[in-house]
Amino acid sequence: MSPRTAATLALAALLLLYPLLVSGLNGAAFFQDVGATLILAAISASAWNIVGGYAGQVSVGHAMFFGAGAYVPLLVFNLWQWPPLIGMPFGVAVAVLIALAVGIPTFRLQGHYFSMATIAVAELIRIVVSNWDLLGASIGIQGPATARGWWDLTFRSSVPYYYIFLAALAALLYATYLMERSRFGYYLRAIRAGERAAASLGVPVRRTKLAALALSAAFTAVAGSLYAFKLGYVNPESGLGILVSVQMIITAALGGAGRLWGPLIGAIVLVPLQSATNSWFGGSGTGLTYILYGGIILVLARFEPGGLIELWQRLRGSGGAKIEGTHAA
Amino acid sequence: MLLEADRVSRAFGGFLALSEASLTVESGEIVGLIGPNGAGKSTFFNCIAGDLAPSTGRIRFDGIDVTSAPAERHALLGIGRTFQVPATFVELTILDNVMVGAFLRHHRRGDAEAKAMEVLRLTGLDHMAHQRAGILGTPGRKRLGIARVLATEPRLLLLDEALAGLTPGEIRQAIDLVRRIHASGITIIIVEHIMEVILTLAARVMVFNQGRTIAQGTPQEVVNDPKVIEAYLGHHHKRRRARASP
Repeated sequence: MSPRTAATLALAALLLLYPLLVSGLNGAAFFQDVGATLILAAISASAWNIVGGYAGQVSVGHAMFFGAGAYVPLLVFNLWQWPPLIGMPFGVAVAVLIALAVGIPTFRLQGHYFSMATIAVAELIRIVVSNWDLLGASIGIQGPATARGWWDLTFRSSVPYYYIFLAALAALLYATYLMERSRFGYYLRAIRAGERAAASLGVPVRRTKLAALALSAAFTAVAGSLYAFKLGYVNPESGLGILVSVQMIITAALGGAGRLWGPLIGAIVLVPLQSATNSWFGGSGTGLTYILYGGIILVLARFEPGGLIELWQRLRGSGGAKIEGTHAA
Repeated sequence: MLLEADRVSRAFGGFLALSEASLTVESGEIVGLIGPNGAGKSTFFNCIAGDLAPSTGRIRFDGIDVTSAPAERHALLGIGRTFQVPATFVELTILDNVMVGAFLRHHRRGDAEAKAMEVLRLTGLDHMAHQRAGILGTPGRKRLGIARVLATEPRLLLLDEALAGLTPGEIRQAIDLVRRIHASGITIIIVEHIMEVILTLAARVMVFNQGRTIAQGTPQEVVNDPKVIEAYLGHHHKRRRARASP
């Protein structure tokens, strides 16, 4: 067994057993809750990673897809008392429609222009929702207060959510693994590396970017739905705020954007850090989160744009850098 | 005939970079495009490659009108091109760079990898297939650029200054590679401003100056054409002649 496989299996075992491992501790419920939050952050960031990492199209508006996934299940519950779970596919559909509406015009733009367009559309959606009574306006909307059955996915403990989230993360990472090795995955990386060269090799650049955005939006909406199931409540800030988008980017970039394990590793570092700062400094944590994010962006941009995975590979002395030295000499 | 460009012009704003260039290429030829910097040869080249849409004129490839088709459609039809600055995917391995091209006609990963390895052997890069492309210097990147486009299995290959910036030894190797590619049945259009190189490779040459084609013919015909001599040796030559004559 290669060290890589061993590390993967160890990580999988740790994640599987985590709620049990902390169950004996003082404050087990808190640690289990942080665990569920961590897995959810990894799902969102992995979903963002498809278009923002692999394809290099840095969306700063993924909150709109997350919000679609979070609002629609709670909306169908409020309107018709359907279990939120039934609303999930509709949330995904809404997210994909938004993705196409955003992607078709903006993928004529390149680089920063696409990023700015995503911020603008996401903020626009947040403002509209904040004033839309059907969606609870600025107060937000609620799911079932008490479960009518397991299918309402309303549990007191965080542990069932943890395992639901973990299953979703495993499915997403496996899909990403298959994508990495497929023609589509190669085309995404080629687009990130250079659109003109990619097109010259027959890569249908706009269509491929659009497919990546739609796929990414769909998975982000799933993350939003899972969030809504667990919290049973969403408002414009928690579902559609720019911080939601920024968190996905930071989490993925911290671990390594465009890498399979990058978002999960980023979440493993970032989420406990957030929980710690929030509990140390009390309820005024939001402002601090911004400072934390700003600091991470600064350090990453200055020292390690490739994220922790690349840092680790460099420290181990494997691969590129060394060979480059010998060739230049 | 494989390629037919009919009175192709291209303007940038008010500047006419290329004016009514026409060219026909038969299957199996090597055609050279030469001219001083800014003469319009790269503009013409990019129009044929589908990177620029001509302002007026028509381009047909194998009977199909490709005048305003996007670059990826050109690749699919069988027009491949390299870049003057090789546009290497530096983060990917050398093999993965070539597999991007190979995926055009081989949708399954295993098939694409086999095709890519075949091309890497032809271009002499197979021994470093699994290293990052970023480690390559200019000659290696140019070679990789050629490997990548060969993996798309083009019928017409457009080489944009594939030899510029190489040492004499590297140029010899590159010429050898171009000859082998041609021998495998691929038609080639090559842009160069190193006269000597193109004269040894191309059977037919088209000379550009100030956005116009000023001569077309065999290398021997072209180098003896007074308009070509003037374009290359420039006004200095003309002025000297002018001063001598009165």
